[in-house]
Amino acid sequence: MHQQILIDDLRKMAERAGLNLSEDELRRLLPGVNRSKKQAAELRELLASTDEPASIFDLTGERKAK
Amino acid sequence: MEANEIAYLSITGAAAALRRNELSPVDLIDALLKRIEAVDDKLHCFITMTADLACKQAQQAERELRSGSDRGPLHGVPIALKDLYMTKGIRTTCHSAVLQNWVPDVNATTVTKLQEAGAILLGKLGMHEFAFGGPSVDAPFPAVRNPWNTAHIPGGSSSGSGAALAAGLCYGALGSDTGGSIRTPSSHCGVVGIKPTYGRVSRYGVVPLSWSLDHAGPMARSVEDCAIMLAVISGYDAKDPASANIAVPDFRSGLEDGIKGLRVGVPRAGWFDENLGVDRETETAFNQALEILKNLGATIIDIGGKPFSLARKANQTILICEAYAYHEKTYQETPMKFGSSVRRRMLEGAFLSAADYISAQRARAILSDQIHANFARVDVFAVPGAARPPEAFATMDPNEQNLRPNFTNPFNLSGLPAVCVPCGFTSAKLPAGLQIIAPPFQESIALRVAYAYERATEWHKHKPPL
Repeated sequence: MHQQILIDDLRKMAERAGLNLSEDELRRLLPGVNRSKKQAAELRELLASTDEPASIFDLTGERKAK
Repeated sequence: MEANEIAYLSITGAAAALRRNELSPVDLIDALLKRIEAVDDKLHCFITMTADLACKQAQQAERELRSGSDRGPLHGVPIALKDLYMTKGIRTTCHSAVLQNWVPDVNATTVTKLQEAGAILLGKLGMHEFAFGGPSVDAPFPAVRNPWNTAHIPGGSSSGSGAALAAGLCYGALGSDTGGSIRTPSSHCGVVGIKPTYGRVSRYGVVPLSWSLDHAGPMARSVEDCAIMLAVISGYDAKDPASANIAVPDFRSGLEDGIKGLRVGVPRAGWFDENLGVDRETETAFNQALEILKNLGATIIDIGGKPFSLARKANQTILICEAYAYHEKTYQETPMKFGSSVRRRMLEGAFLSAADYISAQRARAILSDQIHANFARVDVFAVPGAARPPEAFATMDPNEQNLRPNFTNPFNLSGLPAVCVPCGFTSAKLPAGLQIIAPPFQESIALRVAYAYERATEWHKHKPPL
């Protein structure tokens, strides 16, 4: 479940990330950040505890075959 | 042959004319340079022209061909590159102020392969800044315009590649595709483009957007021309850690084999009607294309669209995280050198967590398996090239795109090869595209279906009213 990010949260997150953003920039970013966070939260609902990341992305099938 | 007729030859047509001594590589260059001078001030396809180099290469190709030294179908044929392919000694800007005067000291592997095949480099093409965001209104170079109607976008991010081909300014081009950046401009400009399987074409020397989603690939005005270019640029490259050590077939050899008995899966349910849905005229063009495939002997089979729909979320999450990771240092040092569109999208990646990114990569594994599993029932998938026709610059709404199905990025997430071929026009005379997607490393099948469709239709023969 995605918890809505507010402008104060975003300001703190920006500081932690070393980003110097104006109030205007923060306000313009906020809808996109909330949309991205919501998408990421929705993806978690697909996952079982045994699912691993596709960090080794192998379409040749060589690793599976071995 | 008149200059405009020469400019619109196919690669195969130009290659044949060169070998019959009806034309020389210098004639091809002359025709294209005239055409560029006549129309590119309306389109802004080229960021950097390499006319002097092209003339020298054309003269060399002419000498070689006359002496019987033939390097294959691209020998003496002028092509152009999206301006994120590194070119030794030639500036590579990524359409950005960040790299406005950057001159690489190496060539991308694909560029070297094209040079070895005797292709002539005409110049570097406009794009969306860093292959990200939308048409760049505050970049140091003007946004590329659609040759079918210059008030409309050409689609991106390989916008210059699509527009230059549609306008007859080159015979072939390279694009790159992280979420649809070869196939969208192909669809919007009425040309052909293929995003190969992940690992098929080296990404070495292609400025990254998102390492695990980036694909390099060719664009041209016919399926056969794309097959020719793909054969030249494919193959294992130790310089690219994702490169696959798999034999490269002759992509042209099976083109004429037809599609009788082929099973075409259409993942419509749970996808096409998502939110705002597919534009009505676009869906009509797609349905008519399916009828043609059926008439050619294929069977159309409905398959579930849900994993294809969900793929967008994983693709976007991975893309913005990797893009921010790549640009973080430059952004922190010189934020205002990035255009507003790319700055806003890229920064979204700064606010996602490591867990968000890893969850998306976990979802990628699941969704890719689900998408791939459909190949037990069908041989290829078919979907529209884009959910709607190219928008007008004046009314473009990037947020609206997120409310329609994204028909391209599931195949970046899953790494599958996907070719886009022209399949009609809207009532406003804007092009639409048909995508054919094949199993991993089966580009030949996708190209065979696209070729059969192209042969049965006339869409690829239309030219924009410039």
